[in-house]
Amino acid sequence: MPKRGGGRMRNWKADNDHFEHDDRASNPRRVSFKPGTNKGKNKFNSWKNTAKLLLDDDVDMGASGGQGPRKPYRGRGGRLGSPAPRSGHGITKKKFVAGMLPWYQIIIPYGAKHDKDVVLRALLDHISPEIFIPHYYKINGNAAVFYVDDVKIAEKLFHADRKIMMSDGFKLVVIVRNTVPNVNVDADMKEKMKLVMAKRYNAATKALDLTKFHADPDLSEIFCALFRPVIMLAAIDIIAENIPDLEALNLNDNKLHGLEHLKILSTKLKSLKILYMADNRIPFLGSLDPLKSLPLVELYLKGNPLLNRFNDHDIYISDVRKKFPKLVRLDGVDLPPAIGFDVSEDVTLPPRQQSFLIDPAGQDLVREFLTQYFAIFDSESRQPLLEAYHESATMSMAANYLTNDNRNMPATRLNQYISNSRNIIRITERESRRRYLRTGKLQVVSFLSDLPKTTHDLMGFAVDLLVFTPTMIVLTMNGLYKETNTSGSPTRSFHRTFVIVPNSGGGFCIINDMLYVTNTTKEQEESAFKSGMPEAIPPTPAPTPTPAPAPSFSNDHQMLLNTLGQQTGMNEHWSLNCLQETGWDLQRALFIFNQLQSEGKIPPEAFIK
Amino acid sequence: MSEVVLKNVDNACETAEEFTRVFYKQVDNSRHLTSKLYLDTGLLVWNGNGINGNDKIQKFLMDLPGSNHVLKTLDAQPISENLVSNQLTLTYLIQACGDVTYQNDNIKKPFQQTFLIVAVDGKWKIASDCFRLQVPYNS
Repeated sequence: MPKRGGGRMRNWKADNDHFEHDDRASNPRRVSFKPGTNKGKNKFNSWKNTAKLLLDDDVDMGASGGQGPRKPYRGRGGRLGSPAPRSGHGITKKKFVAGMLPWYQIIIPYGAKHDKDVVLRALLDHISPEIFIPHYYKINGNAAVFYVDDVKIAEKLFHADRKIMMSDGFKLVVIVRNTVPNVNVDADMKEKMKLVMAKRYNAATKALDLTKFHADPDLSEIFCALFRPVIMLAAIDIIAENIPDLEALNLNDNKLHGLEHLKILSTKLKSLKILYMADNRIPFLGSLDPLKSLPLVELYLKGNPLLNRFNDHDIYISDVRKKFPKLVRLDGVDLPPAIGFDVSEDVTLPPRQQSFLIDPAGQDLVREFLTQYFAIFDSESRQPLLEAYHESATMSMAANYLTNDNRNMPATRLNQYISNSRNIIRITERESRRRYLRTGKLQVVSFLSDLPKTTHDLMGFAVDLLVFTPTMIVLTMNGLYKETNTSGSPTRSFHRTFVIVPNSGGGFCIINDMLYVTNTTKEQEESAFKSGMPEAIPPTPAPTPTPAPAPSFSNDHQMLLNTLGQQTGMNEHWSLNCLQETGWDLQRALFIFNQLQSEGKIPPEAFIK
Repeated sequence: MSEVVLKNVDNACETAEEFTRVFYKQVDNSRHLTSKLYLDTGLLVWNGNGINGNDKIQKFLMDLPGSNHVLKTLDAQPISENLVSNQLTLTYLIQACGDVTYQNDNIKKPFQQTFLIVAVDGKWKIASDCFRLQVPYNS
């Protein structure tokens, strides 16, 4: 409601702060009575004004659109005292106009003075022979508030205003507002909904009947109307959790209007093929578009305004079928078989599996190897990974952004990876391609040591064991890791392949390592680190910092080791690896050290003794 | 690194470029011919579903919806020659990443695919092919 109540209205409100009425700007509108702030002599005045104001609102709701000039309130609001006969331009001339919302709030100011039964009986007697069910009757301050879900009853009650003389000598004031009860969906409410849904579920037919859900006697305490998206979404969540294979859903008579939020049905309830939505308020056939991806075979739409838009029933059928090509029954009538084209049935992708093992015998070895590898990789120092690589191992990394990813946050930037990315689509020069391929375990591990510190979601790994022979193992991983030292701790998605060969010591080492890094998709982000936390992984003791097979050095080697250590400042572990890699050639080892050092590729931990 | 090894690195990259060009063209446009690119005993692991042997791979591929792959990232490494078998076989590891759109839903999805290709009788053949869509795998 735009721009209602200019200065005058605000003044009015200021004078009557004990009755807060804030429905001018927001929809759904709300009334709250501040209890205990009534100041004797003003009270009649206040509720009288209120009554009129609210009635005005109702009229405007219906007749909204081009609003004519508003009548001032002053004319009738100026008088103090008891409910007086109304002045000429008062309420009598107002006509009840139905609102957009399917619910009406009935406010009985000072209804708290009477028993609930007394109030309701008085109203029921007055509108007899009509009857109504008062929903969610409660006392709010000194007013009684309840709701009706029938426009006819709302109108009758509207006209009952000041017609009923109560035992205390006052006429009963009845305010009718077109608004819905406010409700929070909490765990308690979800539990209640779940119990009612369980009662209404037929396991034999996998059918759930939610007809007129809000009117279920077990839900009389709470306002549980499915036309409210928040409640419908909660209901869908409950279904998806408890009966994910639901095939038939009856939503008849729930005052459904917009269906945009029902789009998630096709992802949450994949088996749903029968949907009843008769006697709702669905305005257009186009309103059903969010449901288009449901493979519906049966649909009920009778009793919705959208049907009135079709003069020709055949066109209606044909238009519905265009949206739901698999439909065989509409509104309870079998449809004549449609004549289509014999193009291949819309094929779907095979379901994904978490892992593939070419040889089940490899499972333990792979698990052990990866657990140990990533325990070190995710630790403070990646230096011990030297043990995991072959002398002449090669490693390369490529990185790229997701397509159409419009997140532009510092955390989604991949600069640290892209600058080292060996994407040969971009890197076309031979020299560069050679350089970006890290060769020899020293280079490999120093490169890995420069990558951001990580924690991998090991339980979420998809591992494919592609080759498992005595001489070679090839495995590919897909998964996620978190950067632990980067601000915002971003999660990345990676794809990585290891080619593993036996080493001389009876163990295994990596000879090829190929890594791809990118950002996570929204879907990945949501399920990251969700499959049980790392306690499932044996606590880290790995082959880890077994500081190399130290004891068996010849004196010559020990001397070279000492010399290299002295000249470079590297610790024994790194000096040893450097020497082993160069075949114990001190000159070459020094040369390589200088080269790597000048490129800044030797991690600081190499110098920690 | 010796010159021979370096040349092999160059060659791995050039072969990867050529290979992926041919492979994705076949998969997207002439899928009925694609299985020719695999060894008779080749292995395809498609999102964790393992398919062994050229014939079964052909059938599996034919059952997938029509596709369009767009490659964005490519990387390749040679695998030490004498590892794959006792004979001297040239083997390359190729990693291809990009977006794939399947005709059933027309939604662009990121994918990553790793090939192990070997040279047999003057032709490059896929020994194993591991395809993964970039989706959550923790069920």
